[in-house]
Amino acid sequence: MSATQPILQPRMPKSWYKANKPHLFCPGCGHGMVLKALGEAIDELGIQSKTIFGCDIGCSLLAWNFLDVDSTQTHHGRTTPVMVGIKRANPELVTVAYMGDGGGYAIGSQHTVNAAIRNEKITVILVNNTNYGMTGGQMAPTTLPGQRTETTPYGRDPEETGYPTRGPEMIAAIAPEGAYVARGTVANLRQLKGYIKKALENQMAGRGFSFVEALSLCPTNWRTNAKDTWAFLEGKMAQYFPVGELRVPKQKEE
Amino acid sequence: MTTPEKVLTVDVPRGRFNLFTYLCKGCGLCKEKCPKECLIWAEELGAYGTPAVIPDDPQKCIACGICEQVCPDCAILIEKKKVK
Ligand code: SF4
Ligand code: SF4
Ligand code: SF4
Repeated sequence: MSATQPILQPRMPKSWYKANKPHLFCPGCGHGMVLKALGEAIDELGIQSKTIFGCDIGCSLLAWNFLDVDSTQTHHGRTTPVMVGIKRANPELVTVAYMGDGGGYAIGSQHTVNAAIRNEKITVILVNNTNYGMTGGQMAPTTLPGQRTETTPYGRDPEETGYPTRGPEMIAAIAPEGAYVARGTVANLRQLKGYIKKALENQMAGRGFSFVEALSLCPTNWRTNAKDTWAFLEGKMAQYFPVGELRVPKQKEE
Repeated sequence: MTTPEKVLTVDVPRGRFNLFTYLCKGCGLCKEKCPKECLIWAEELGAYGTPAVIPDDPQKCIACGICEQVCPDCAILIEKKKVK
């Protein structure tokens, strides 16, 4: 072996910030996979130097130094208006608002809704793991009927707390022409990366609001082993939250 | 390529399986997704002192790369042999 031989390195996206790996998310957390898909999408589009990444409060904030791009963190869904501001001031940048279901569908839902209605030219990636992860697994807008959480020990009762929010369906119904809306899953990372890439391209083309929900894993609060973690995602979650593209804008004829 | 100390490397018929122990958090997601069900807990420990993973029988691994793809921590690297 000669001294000039390179040392074997893990295959991480170029846009990942290597110095904080292993990252801060729990073992088996889906955030790592969503951020792998995002990292690969950024690499493939060659936009690392002009991407601005904003994460929210909750587990999504653990991504504050995940990517080797300019990053910021805000609370309670305000990542969306902050990314809107940065985009309006510097339209050549690509801004990504990264948040969980709590930030985007509950306490910060007004920001999600109004940015969509105004067709702001940003990309929102919302990670749906059916609970508030960081605070110990309380019921979130996305908690499934019957699902046990810290605050629904007998299972979520829709009579009392309503039915789970279907975010992409809502955004697809209110966003104007030019919006891109999809729901992917970490059970199909190639597809998820494709959706994220299209959402970034839609922003870069200046067409409109670009929204991707990613069905994700939270084994820590689901209290599931690896087998049951996959089973919950691919079973009950995928049934209630169908995966696919909801709005795909027409591309301008060249 | 040289392999640093904290990498478990196993030659398999179609390439090489590599696991970076300092990245593996022992979540087991890869084990469940391996189509050949050939991953088991290793003697060596990972990032949090939980067992890492390794193919139990190298002959069974087809170097498909699914375990690498699903790992949230990029702890696995599958090198595929170039097929002429
Ligand atoms: S609590 Fe859940 S969402 Fe948060 S880092 Fe852990 S596994 Fe991921
Ligand atoms: S490369 Fe494929 S066959 Fe080999 S351990 Fe990984 S998932 Fe299993
Ligand atoms: S290699 Fe990755 S997916 Fe497999 S147990 Fe380790 S951290 Fe989990």
